Amino acid sequence: MVFAMQQTYDVIIIGAGPAGTSFARVAAHGGLDVLVIDKRKELGSPVRCGEGIGAHWEGKIKLPLHGGAIAYKIDGAKCFAPNGKTLKTQTPETKGYVLERKIFDKYLAIEAARAGAHILPKTIATELVKENGKPAGVKARTFDDEVLEFRAPLVVSAEGMEAKIAREAGFADAVAGLYDTDTCFEYEMANVECEPLIEIWFSNLYAKRGYVWVFPKAKDVANVGVGIGGDLNEHPKERLDKFIKAHPERFKNAEVVEVKAGNIWVGPPLKELVKDNFMVIGTAAHQVDPIHGGGMALAIEAGVIAAETALKAARAKDFSKRALGEYETRWRAAEEGKLAKRLRLRKVLELFTDEDFNRVFELLDEKDLERVLNGDFKPVVSKVLLKRPSLLKVLKALI
Amino acid sequence: MAVDITKSKCVYCGGCVAACPVLALTLFETRVVCDEAKCISCGTCVRACPMQAIKLKNKK
Repeated sequence: MVFAMQQTYDVIIIGAGPAGTSFARVAAHGGLDVLVIDKRKELGSPVRCGEGIGAHWEGKIKLPLHGGAIAYKIDGAKCFAPNGKTLKTQTPETKGYVLERKIFDKYLAIEAARAGAHILPKTIATELVKENGKPAGVKARTFDDEVLEFRAPLVVSAEGMEAKIAREAGFADAVAGLYDTDTCFEYEMANVECEPLIEIWFSNLYAKRGYVWVFPKAKDVANVGVGIGGDLNEHPKERLDKFIKAHPERFKNAEVVEVKAGNIWVGPPLKELVKDNFMVIGTAAHQVDPIHGGGMALAIEAGVIAAETALKAARAKDFSKRALGEYETRWRAAEEGKLAKRLRLRKVLELFTDEDFNRVFELLDEKDLERVLNGDFKPVVSKVLLKRPSLLKVLKALI
Repeated sequence: MAVDITKSKCVYCGGCVAACPVLALTLFETRVVCDEAKCISCGTCVRACPMQAIKLKNKK
């Protein structure tokens, strides 16, 4: 493909992350002529992610997991209150994996290529091409430093947080306003003892409007990171270093083997996901879980649904907003209600003082934590309010 | 108007690009470039950067 570059396709996808390559795999498998471009020379790198994914997605979206992409299997989650009290949950919903993104993302690209998609790394989309005011392709600079114009009746933004072409296409809310963004810093560390549990540490001292995480990649290796509210003018690296220094027993032999950083959207999804001849999928569409900031599985799901819609649109030769809207309708039906609930929970957690966290952890048991994670807030809120009516002001949004 | 990016601190995550309200920043794989004609020196990217790698250029 690199050697005989055609310039007209059925669909051009910008970004070879999980959303883009999942779209490409399904669309190519269905017979479309597909091009994926990505500015990076190494797909999946630099990692800007905790790399955790829930195993319950496997049933739902046939999670394309390659054995080599799984760093560690996770049995459950352990949440820490600021005073150190913990709540553990181990249910089918909290089983999962911590992945090696560099292997996972490349594997997804290989699967797309096997289905017949063309992949073009180290090629940056510089401009949206329009015809009669509607998207008709992209201009891109290849690694031969050539500027090419790729044409297609459908352009898909799977650009992740940056979402530049999507914004150029008129999706103004694809900008990452700081209030709804968590700014994150992470070390991958060796010599950190771990159970096969995702650890979530709540604390206003280390992670205001976010959390500190320890995601194990082996029994003695972990992604140790922090995400904090983007509008707070706090520096995530400082906070994480402070957290690590405050836990000398745990980290005394730790060695940093990789430094990662990045920002993630933790607000609502875009108001629109499609326009004439254009779709937005994955993190570019702000399809991210507002509690933990995870986006991989949502991105894959959106990519698959959008590709199925694109296949129908191609058969009908109709790439209008109305025709592409089936993706938006299906995605919102599948995920929007759940995400909206979790956003409400996030907004409440943001109001918690450390004292509030400590009190609530005192009152809850593991079953309650499961209920909260499943969006079943009512019984848990009632239980807390019975003992601590003073929390009504903070918790009322969940009733 | 423009910003200074300290390349030794940058981990090219693109957080600044995502936050820029006027699409003035572009991440070319490992290099963030500011389009001085578009930049309005609002400082959003400075606050968004998880690595503290961006500063507003001193106005002359």
